[in-house]
Amino acid sequence: MDRPNPLFRNLSSKLASAPMVLIVLCVFVGGTLWTILFSFTNIKILPIFTPSEWVNGFVGFANYERLFNTDRWMNCPAITKIGTEAWKFKCAGAMPNMVTFALLAITISMTLGFLLAVMMDQKIRLEGVFRTIYLYPFALSFIVTGHVWAWIMSPEYGLQAAVRKLGWESFSFGWIADRDMVMYAIVIAGIWQGTGFVMALMLAGLRGIDEDIWKAARVDGIPAWRTYLQIVLPMMKPVLVTTFVIVASGAVRVYDLVVAMTDGGPGIASDVPTRYVYTNFSANLGQSLSASTVMLVTMAFILIPWIRLEFGKKEQGH
Amino acid sequence: MARAVTTQRKLVYTIAAWSVALLIFFPVLWTILTSFKTETSAVANPPELLSADWTLENYAEVWGRTDYPRFFLNSVIISVGSTLLGLLIAIPAAWSMAFVPSNKTKDLLMWMLSTKMMPAAAVLIPMYLIFQRTGLFDTRTGLVLALMLMNLPVIIWMLYTYFKEIPGEILEAARMDGASLRDEVLYILTPMAIPGIASTMLLNIILAWNEAFWTITLTTTKAAPLSAFIASFSAPQGLFYAKLSAASTMAIAPILILGWFSQKQLVRGLTFGAVK
Repeated sequence: MDRPNPLFRNLSSKLASAPMVLIVLCVFVGGTLWTILFSFTNIKILPIFTPSEWVNGFVGFANYERLFNTDRWMNCPAITKIGTEAWKFKCAGAMPNMVTFALLAITISMTLGFLLAVMMDQKIRLEGVFRTIYLYPFALSFIVTGHVWAWIMSPEYGLQAAVRKLGWESFSFGWIADRDMVMYAIVIAGIWQGTGFVMALMLAGLRGIDEDIWKAARVDGIPAWRTYLQIVLPMMKPVLVTTFVIVASGAVRVYDLVVAMTDGGPGIASDVPTRYVYTNFSANLGQSLSASTVMLVTMAFILIPWIRLEFGKKEQGH
Repeated sequence: MARAVTTQRKLVYTIAAWSVALLIFFPVLWTILTSFKTETSAVANPPELLSADWTLENYAEVWGRTDYPRFFLNSVIISVGSTLLGLLIAIPAAWSMAFVPSNKTKDLLMWMLSTKMMPAAAVLIPMYLIFQRTGLFDTRTGLVLALMLMNLPVIIWMLYTYFKEIPGEILEAARMDGASLRDEVLYILTPMAIPGIASTMLLNIILAWNEAFWTITLTTTKAAPLSAFIASFSAPQGLFYAKLSAASTMAIAPILILGWFSQKQLVRGLTFGAVK
């Protein structure tokens, strides 16, 4: 390479990315570390970081113990009865709510998203228009659309009232006001929001599959659905993993859905960790910090395998 | 795709695609329709798809009686401001990663992208603390900064994927002709990257416009944008669905329209560059 002045060029490139690296370091890494470190202390008011404050306030895992003993965070009385007759799989609280939401929203939106992508893959006219419409829920503020969903699922004014008026008296869809169903109401809205996004990513993945694979499958007389399921789907593994990570990260920090639809209600039946951290931190700083740390750890479990996968792939490409 | 698709099956798929589109768009459509109804017609049972007496009163009322214009202005300032500030930091960074890559660049990118996936709540408390101590709490400047910080990883990633598509040889040639580094970035790279920069801007404006977590937690009233305003209609009761719908329509209309006229950029942006 004969670049004029390569040294200068390299130096400027370092300088050019310096602000970004500094910001990422200070805000994300610094802020995260601060949260984790102070979750092990008994600080009551917000301190600026000083090592002595940390040492003096160190209480080990006390905050975590308190957090997991708080019903609002996690209330799983049945867990101790596993194996006995009394065992019932039912947990309440912010953390189990998030897990329920994440499991259902991820599974369903990824399944529906894949099916939609397969449908869009059949050379439908106006594909671009459909793609945009399917992505709209993801592009619009959920604070706004959440209100519509709350309305649809409200017992007095929503679908339930309309269907009952038509004569189906026992129809029940007032999930927003129903302690047992409210999380499923939020799951429905979450699926509505995420499916188009999953579809767009999966469609890009489908388009990346070599045309020859299809020809070969047709020559062998394999029906289209089996080609999708047994050949194409496994080949799309990188796309699937990336989609999963993005959707999962959205599910772990779910907040605006809940705020717009129920604000955690009825009671605290639809509280989620992000909302817990925010609503608790002036009264219960230690618990808020440990709740944030639990969220971080959850996300790290999802992110680290992905980073290793993506990273390993790129290394090979060299 | 070379899949054998008969006309008949194609018709079935097209009908299915339209049905799904209608289903997905229905909540949005319903909001828009309701915003033109009277309050009684909005909660009528059985529901009225179209109202007998159309009215613009809801808009007049939301615009006139609430502080809606101020919230709207805050939203515009915050989303545009944070986008421009973000680009200022992101363009040099993306340039250096795309055209002068070192063996650390890939690590840096992955690391940066993963920060975007981390739960924002993890940095809420230190951010809140810093904002309170420095007087940035509930100011537009503070929110511009906060949203710029939060969206910076995505901006850089998007720009990086666009810059990657620009052949490095062109920059090389300019350099051979004696262009300085500043000229190279300012007069060669930037004009060529305008489409990429524009769609990155679009994406970031949408993200900032929709942002709810930081705007709710870091403001009270003065600097609160539309998302905070709409959120304050918490647990809407039947009494003001029409007005809420009018406020909501005004809040989503810019995105609906902007998105419709830049579909390609919208799709690419929202999928973080995965869909070209």
